[in-house]
Amino acid sequence: MKPIFAFLALMALTIPPQVLAQNRHDARVALGRRLFYDADLSRDGSMSCATCHEQRHGFSDGNLVHPGVTDEPGRRNVPGLANVGRFSPLTWADPRQTTLEKQAAVPVFGTHPVEMGMAGMQEQIPKRLGRDPCYRQMFAAAFPGHDQKLDFAKISRALADFERSLISRDAPFDRHRLSPEATVGWAAFRRSCASCHKGPDFTDMAFHRLSPPDPAAPDQGLYEVTGRQADRGRIRTPSLRNVAVTGPYWHDGSAPTLDDAIGRHGLNLAPDKTRAIKVFLNALTDDKFLNNQAFSLPQTACGVKL
Amino acid sequence: MPKNGVIMAGFWAAALALWAGQVWAQTPAAPACAAPVAPSGEYAPWTNPVAIKAGGDPAAAPLLPLGTAARVTLIATPKVKYEVRPEKPGGTVSYGGILILDITKNSSYRIALSSAAWLDVIGKDGALRSTAHGHGPDCTGIRKVVEFPLQPGRYTVQIAANGADEITVMALPSP
Repeated sequence: MKPIFAFLALMALTIPPQVLAQNRHDARVALGRRLFYDADLSRDGSMSCATCHEQRHGFSDGNLVHPGVTDEPGRRNVPGLANVGRFSPLTWADPRQTTLEKQAAVPVFGTHPVEMGMAGMQEQIPKRLGRDPCYRQMFAAAFPGHDQKLDFAKISRALADFERSLISRDAPFDRHRLSPEATVGWAAFRRSCASCHKGPDFTDMAFHRLSPPDPAAPDQGLYEVTGRQADRGRIRTPSLRNVAVTGPYWHDGSAPTLDDAIGRHGLNLAPDKTRAIKVFLNALTDDKFLNNQAFSLPQTACGVKL
Repeated sequence: MPKNGVIMAGFWAAALALWAGQVWAQTPAAPACAAPVAPSGEYAPWTNPVAIKAGGDPAAAPLLPLGTAARVTLIATPKVKYEVRPEKPGGTVSYGGILILDITKNSSYRIALSSAAWLDVIGKDGALRSTAHGHGPDCTGIRKVVEFPLQPGRYTVQIAANGADEITVMALPSP
């Protein structure tokens, strides 16, 4: 038997049927899901992606900002991840983050601020994960071929594939089940908000500033990346999918409620229109998405309880 | 209760109420502190904790006395057998452990931690939902405070996803 066939035969014997049955894409999504919830991607094992991106909050969290493993305060509010596979650029104000694969390194290795704190410890990740035979099997199923090296490039690809599976398209709005007041709100929203919050995910993916630039502000938005004066304070329009459960709002979490967030747009809406828009925004909550077991903390891997 | 106690009780009620409804979420970061501050009042025992070793399973878990701070030695996460899998289980390089809490009076109770570790309180019907969470007095090292309504009985306290092998824990009735 040629070595490659011997290798494949050995793989077939050692990989559990649950892993073998998956196609490569499904295997990557399964691997990415497990990695998303694995705190071994952080310096001291205390934080996973899911520490900040909580499913019941549309994969945002309930805090203004979230401190990292060193307790350094976060700088920006945790964004939700519904339909994030459709987004580019990603995050609040960084046009360099064009793909989920690239962006995965920011929380893991970033230092401004420190989030998961793995800067300088990259070699620790394959060591930690490689100690688990099931992880090795999952990587082999997700990335079949000669290259069985476990590295961050594969990790980021698997995380990205899982994140691309986070599709939210079953809110009352999607099912055309708006109450009369939500319908009024939808009309008001289209008139007053949809120039930026447009499209199926209610974002134009562009960077805007809603108040005069303040060079003394601690967060200069897009300017921090481009260095262009015109970009001071410019922030990418956030998606509004599941917005009712992703508060607090604004890039720094400084708007505690939807009322605050709507009010900051300076639209001078009549109170009944603001209320109707809020009712409409609540119709963007996709309960199936928030409770989909395929997106939650995995309870098994390789057919074994975790 | 002295006047200061009333004011502080009101403050803590307000501080925790800010986070009511945001159950299970993590707490905000502690402010920058020039020097540590010894907590006073009901948190005064925080600076003089007793040393205990967390259990690796509920049967081996020691009692966490109410109103007494404990410096708890934790166990490597892969060796801990939790009664209920924590929602945020921690990586293999993290630490966790199990304590027992005996409650004799129907009331709301706070559990204070020196880190942002994940905390579960398990009753006879499973993991309880916290009703509020926040942080302790600034610069005291009380990093996270979670509130649970508890009826008389025995509870399992699960600590998970701690970055270090020790943590200070204190359980006390809410004001």
